[in-house]
Amino acid sequence: MEKFFNRKVTVTLKYIVVAFTSALLLMLIMSSFAKREYAISGFLTIGLIAIAVTYLTNYSIPMKFFLPGMFFLFAFVVGPILYTVAMSTFHYETGNYISKPDAISRILATGVRPDPNQTTFDIIIGEDSSKNLEILASDPTNKVYFLSTASTKTDLDPATVAVDGNGDATIAPGFHALTPDQQTALDQQIATTRFVYSSAFFITIEGSNVASLKSQTLKYNSSNDTFVNVQTGAVYKDNGVGNYANLTNKTDFLQPGWRAPIWFSNYAKLFTDPQIRKPLIQVFIWTMVFATLTVLTQFALGLLVAMIMNRKLFGRRIYRSIFILPYAMPSIMSILIWGGMFDTEFGAINHLFGSHVPWFQNAFYARAAVIIVNLWLGFPYFYLITSGALQAIPAELSEAAAIDGASNRQIFRKITLPLLLQVVSPLLVASFAFNFNNFNIIYLLTGGGPTNTLGGAVAGSTDILISYTYKIAFGAGTQNLGLASAISVVIFFIIASISLYGIRRSRVLDSFK
Amino acid sequence: MIQSKFGKVAALTLTAGLMSGFVSAPVHAASKTIIVWADETRGPHLQQVIAAKGDWVPGYTIKIVPFSSFAALDTAFGNATALTGPDIVVGANDWVPTGAKEGKLAPVTLSSSVRAQFTANNFFDLSYKGVLYGVPLDVNNVAMIYNSKLTSKPGTFAQMVNFYLANKTADKLTAGLCVAGGGMSWGAESVLSALGGAPYIMSASGAVDPSSDPLPAATVAANVSKYLLAKNGKSNGFFPATDTGCKTAFLAGTVPYAIIGNWEWQDYANAGFDMNLMPVPGILHGQNGAAFASVSGALLTVYAAAHGVDQGAKSLLNNFFGSAAGAVAYQNVELRPPANKKAQKDASVTAAQKGFGKAGAVAGVPQIGAILNGAPGGKAFWDLLPAFWTDVLVNGKSPLTSAQAMDTFFKANVAAGIPQL
Repeated sequence: MEKFFNRKVTVTLKYIVVAFTSALLLMLIMSSFAKREYAISGFLTIGLIAIAVTYLTNYSIPMKFFLPGMFFLFAFVVGPILYTVAMSTFHYETGNYISKPDAISRILATGVRPDPNQTTFDIIIGEDSSKNLEILASDPTNKVYFLSTASTKTDLDPATVAVDGNGDATIAPGFHALTPDQQTALDQQIATTRFVYSSAFFITIEGSNVASLKSQTLKYNSSNDTFVNVQTGAVYKDNGVGNYANLTNKTDFLQPGWRAPIWFSNYAKLFTDPQIRKPLIQVFIWTMVFATLTVLTQFALGLLVAMIMNRKLFGRRIYRSIFILPYAMPSIMSILIWGGMFDTEFGAINHLFGSHVPWFQNAFYARAAVIIVNLWLGFPYFYLITSGALQAIPAELSEAAAIDGASNRQIFRKITLPLLLQVVSPLLVASFAFNFNNFNIIYLLTGGGPTNTLGGAVAGSTDILISYTYKIAFGAGTQNLGLASAISVVIFFIIASISLYGIRRSRVLDSFK
Repeated sequence: MIQSKFGKVAALTLTAGLMSGFVSAPVHAASKTIIVWADETRGPHLQQVIAAKGDWVPGYTIKIVPFSSFAALDTAFGNATALTGPDIVVGANDWVPTGAKEGKLAPVTLSSSVRAQFTANNFFDLSYKGVLYGVPLDVNNVAMIYNSKLTSKPGTFAQMVNFYLANKTADKLTAGLCVAGGGMSWGAESVLSALGGAPYIMSASGAVDPSSDPLPAATVAANVSKYLLAKNGKSNGFFPATDTGCKTAFLAGTVPYAIIGNWEWQDYANAGFDMNLMPVPGILHGQNGAAFASVSGALLTVYAAAHGVDQGAKSLLNNFFGSAAGAVAYQNVELRPPANKKAQKDASVTAAQKGFGKAGAVAGVPQIGAILNGAPGGKAFWDLLPAFWTDVLVNGKSPLTSAQAMDTFFKANVAAGIPQL
């Protein structure tokens, strides 16, 4: 065995692992570069170079251990944070997703209208004698036939064309039909060619045998970066926030728009726009209450169970296993089961108590349900933690206090709890931070509701900041990713501040100094 | 030493990199393939149809990509880019305004023969600001089914309520009428309509009438009080404010009337129920509650042009999705009512498909996303109607106050939506 893992074998294995990791990165670099994701491509390239330098030289031994962790830290923590911060400074919502050049080309594409009669022609796609793309168009009802290229139109005498059973022309002088395979090869050219019809209209191809009559209603002037509607004369100019807006009516703008930098406008909106500020304050208060109540109830119940289980009890091992079950079950499943049990009409809880409590329709009950379910999910964690911590507290302390005449309550308040809190404080802070962003419980149990929709409320009664942010980003008809990013950044700072404060207060990092 | 290390590793890296490059080469680069995205039912069924006959567009290969759910498809399309997106997506009609605003959908002009196969409402559903973005595929609607083992065909809303109140104890009924398909907004729209309200009023010419009050609050409130509430102002149990458990309860025989979606009628047929389909009856004889009869569409994306298959994708829309032959072949496996008029009359279309089609024809209204999705800063119909049911039937709020509040939002939505049509 020792021989097998001699230096030669391990070095070869190392080369193979490094080579395959590099190959994977190389593939991702090429793929992301092809998709014009230059930032990702650049990051992966740095990673590739770092791997080569670290593992193929002896430049830094510690780096050989740190590099994988640092790579993933940057890829999945630092990168998303930076991206979120960057996006919070953009006008980035439904209708403003793409780049400005893409938006211009889309506006030009949708700025084409069929003629009022929605005229279509049966066509055959082919070439003229000079190999130019040409269509043989038929209007069998009126017996009108013509050939058209990107620059010419030739009307045909019906007597000179051969027609099929539907009256569509099949053969015309000088016209050579393309085979399906030839058409397939020329798809892009066929799709983008505008065939001549008249001064007002042109023809575009809408399939292998259909073409329609169209006119350009919006024209782009690159010299002054404006669009003009040739039918109404309206001029649309870049409004600086990602849209071409009508100069005489700012609310009339062309779509799509583009992702434009608006710097701190999204942050300013959080404080200045009453439609955002008011629900945000309500949601923030409930988030604090929810996180605090969750931690307190989970800790209290966990501690209570731990203290009971700390005594000699018949069947203690069985009880312990049962108490850990909620923690062992996937929380998503538990939440969905609880959701069904709380259903007003058909739920087990109302059925059991013979009640008709509108658990998810009434704000108070919905909040209570959220706390109850979260208590069920979280107390085993604190039960486990506090069980361990209780056993670590020397029994002599309690015994000495008892000899001095302290009651059980006094022993708990003055000795057990302070010692326990010293140990579990960092975990309480971590649990608070986790529950502050506990998206699953809210999204799966109540969906943030109930919402006083008819009263004009935007946020639901059980929405916490993260679920509210999700609604803004993805939940509604209009998705505002820029604003959601700004709220995410604010949440990040709140959590970071609370955690830092908690950690400093608990002096948990003192031992690392 | 270093040189040799680099040499060995570089050789291995390049070999592995090239191999992985070949494996991960994009599908569009390999052939002229038209990529169609569809949900978990339409996708496999389209695959089946295309596998049986794949030459709808000569010179192109058609690849159907099914998703695990409609929501997954929606999310994927939301994240699609020019390099990852489909050429055609089979989606809901209310994707059109968003897709058009985002520049993801491309305009379509259909041949006159294809246009003749659909109604103006069908095209209205798939248009944004007067531009058409796809081909109507199947009709999405709900209809009311009644359990003929418990009751007979009702003529009015009152007959249903009276039956429930008279028999709820004897028959152990858990509700009278409930929504099994379409949710408390889309599915329950026909109940609101039966009681005198609507998110918008269509004029005789088929356009939205901006001058009509969509929700006459006093009328709706009076009807809600009369038919859905008991004397104490609480729900009389006839119409629950939630759709949870409705399907199970109907199948168990504890609910006599249910609103079901046309995508799941087989579940009821398989459970032995006759397809007693009808619109929700109105307050007066001969009146019906209108239900949304929207169409799903095969929508052309801008990615088709980026992939170099724009012409092929347009041909697929005309030759397959827009043709009667394509619609019949597809609906024979998908079993929804086809939007194509010629396909609707085909002998192979089932009675249930025709039953839903008939209910839609009698009491169908177009589903206009530009209005229903809500005015900027306002509220979407999808949120308002469930909130109305909850406020009135669960929280005991005044039907009149709630109806007035909803009407205000409806009016704002109509005003904001009409300029986008």
